[in-house]
Amino acid sequence: MAGEDEKADADPPGQREDESVEKKFDRRDVLRGLSTLPALGLFGYAWSRERGYQQARRAAASAGNAAAAAGQAELNVALLGVGAQGEVLLDAMLRMPGLRFRAVCDIWKEYNQRRAVNLLRKYKFEVNGYEDHREMLDKEQDLDAVVIATPDFWHAQHTVDCLRAGKHVYCEKEMSNTLEGARSMVLAARETGKLLQIGHQRRSHPRYRHCHEKLLGEARLLGRIVTVNGQWNRAVSPDLGWPERYAIPSDRLRQYGFKSMAQFRNWRWYKGLGGGPIVDLGSHQIDIFNWFLGANPSHVTASGGTDYHDPATHEWYDTVMAIYEYETKEGPARAFYQTQTTNGSQGYFENFMGDQGTLVISESEANNPGLLYRDPNAPGWDEWIRKGYVSAPGLQERKPEDEAVVLDVRESVSPDQHRVPVVLRDPYHQPHLQNFFDSIRGTAKLHCPAEVGYETAVTVLKVNEAIEAKRRLSFRAEEFRV
Amino acid sequence: MLRFAHAAMATVFEIRCVHADTAYARQAAEEAFRLVDRLEQEQSRFLANSDVSRINHLSVGQATRVSPSTMECLEIARRMHDRTRGAFDISVGSGLDGLDLVPEEFTVRARAAGVRLDLGGIAKGYAVDRVAELLEEWDISRALIHGGWSSVLALDPPPDGDGWPLTLSAPEPGEQRVLARISARRRAMSASGTRRRDHIRDPRTGRTVRNRAVWVAVGGGEDGHPTSRATFAETLSTAFMVLPPEDVADLCRQWPDVEAWIVQERALVHLAALPHGGGWR
Repeated sequence: MAGEDEKADADPPGQREDESVEKKFDRRDVLRGLSTLPALGLFGYAWSRERGYQQARRAAASAGNAAAAAGQAELNVALLGVGAQGEVLLDAMLRMPGLRFRAVCDIWKEYNQRRAVNLLRKYKFEVNGYEDHREMLDKEQDLDAVVIATPDFWHAQHTVDCLRAGKHVYCEKEMSNTLEGARSMVLAARETGKLLQIGHQRRSHPRYRHCHEKLLGEARLLGRIVTVNGQWNRAVSPDLGWPERYAIPSDRLRQYGFKSMAQFRNWRWYKGLGGGPIVDLGSHQIDIFNWFLGANPSHVTASGGTDYHDPATHEWYDTVMAIYEYETKEGPARAFYQTQTTNGSQGYFENFMGDQGTLVISESEANNPGLLYRDPNAPGWDEWIRKGYVSAPGLQERKPEDEAVVLDVRESVSPDQHRVPVVLRDPYHQPHLQNFFDSIRGTAKLHCPAEVGYETAVTVLKVNEAIEAKRRLSFRAEEFRV
Repeated sequence: MLRFAHAAMATVFEIRCVHADTAYARQAAEEAFRLVDRLEQEQSRFLANSDVSRINHLSVGQATRVSPSTMECLEIARRMHDRTRGAFDISVGSGLDGLDLVPEEFTVRARAAGVRLDLGGIAKGYAVDRVAELLEEWDISRALIHGGWSSVLALDPPPDGDGWPLTLSAPEPGEQRVLARISARRRAMSASGTRRRDHIRDPRTGRTVRNRAVWVAVGGGEDGHPTSRATFAETLSTAFMVLPPEDVADLCRQWPDVEAWIVQERALVHLAALPHGGGWR
């Protein structure tokens, strides 16, 4: 509450990060640090590097703003699909300079479309609302880009039509509910020469990019990664409903491939429309498995079923465990992935386990934002702490000043735990959208082009196939290519 | 009577309502709780990528864009800061004037360094008001919404009563002495106290206040509009925690719709505006 000076009982890590440097150093702080630098010096140094890294990012971001302000052409943008996910993307885009919103297309005119149009008008954008995407493409000739967040089974047609109409496309994952659909998207991007970014937004998340480039690439902090574990668990929740007065007439629903309003709202659970939680949630994280391991899997084994919900309305599996096998450059690796929708225990994270260290990471700034553990026998990380790649550890061994002394006896210390010192200050999807618009402007390269999105679609859609087949399935290397 | 609960903003939000279709009401409540989560993501100072965190990390001269709801909250907060003569202060004494709000561009610019916002004294009430709007879209009118028991909005009463029966209880530990009974309809209430914390600090003077509890009931928002009444009630109860009773009485006279109960050192004071400038009852 305003006016109170007492902090919440449990400050999340994001909070502690800043407070820890502002508060007065106590005795425990003085003991922080490593042997090779004066204790406080290294801690202070690592912190200043962290700050430097954050400031450089902010400077780069404001340079982008300045470029837009300096007369860089604004991009004309349309939104195709403004349900829950489209709203998230719109929210992020509204914070970015250099975009001019021109149109919103959504078949739920009474609710989604109306809300998005009203929101954009608050921001003084003159936007037109459409029900049919072809009509939008006919009438809005000067669009540069379309951001697509429709149900998965519409992605291929929407994307291909937009690309052929000469627009760059950002399309939400899963790229498509079928590989044929996904392939047609890759081909359309190639034919038209237009950009197609797939919405695996972790690929642009500064913390994930830092881990991929610096911690795993340059510093190889984990050694050889042999095992990966990831999950996204969600508490049970009712099917999505809708305000009665805004129901879509049944003829319009049928026209767009939905049997009922309930199916329209809960399309993710239906075969032929979506792919279930393994695709909705798992796809984000299994994409990271492939990226961080630098390989596509060779095999997958999976178990799953509709264990809790009504199978009539939940055709896809509410509970899934998948095991991937990889042949990485360094040898075999195995990755376990779990998703279930009856209990949210431990939320979501990815855990990369190497023979020299561990990385636990998630997209969230609230839970599992990035922790590193060094195996006590692995080489020290002093160099990487000094470079600002990882945070200084907590209490640590301090070498005695006299070289003849073997051990400095003192109060017990904790094993190493380090933070990944990269904080996202923007909405979760903003960096990936920014990467898309920067690529259109020619100042960046796509972080998740169609070909990469396709590899992930191949990897993830095979889980549902393996569950149905009840056996271990193999991937051929050429399966991942179009 | 249907009850749906959800953990958010370091407490529990709850919707109690009367509706013939339980499944429909549950779905409405789920949508409402998703909305509360979105607001928390924007307004929590504990989340590094919230609007509030971005504002708190602005350098002098820097600006950031915020959502329409964050901007609305900031504008109400700034007005209430002025109207309570600084007693309601989301900057907790760090200088709200150091921020420029540009509402038409949804932009906040830092004019001074070191401004730190904490929307803890307004966010729950704001969320409760937005939930009420959502329930209205779903045609659920007989409902009681609360955020952590301290921000309460009574909409239309259950069919068998004139209002939602509520009590105000004494803050002494281990004691459940009812100080007042209220039948609330189309009315927002907010409670603040030192029960969970040993003191609260006056943002204007840094002076600490102990052993005080405040309840506020309002019929409309600070501008008389019913869509911001829980927000209004929460800002008032926060401000009344640090204001001397004569200033509270003065403010109650400004807003004829406001009623307040204050317990200080085990003495109860009830204030409501009277037609001819009275206040103490």
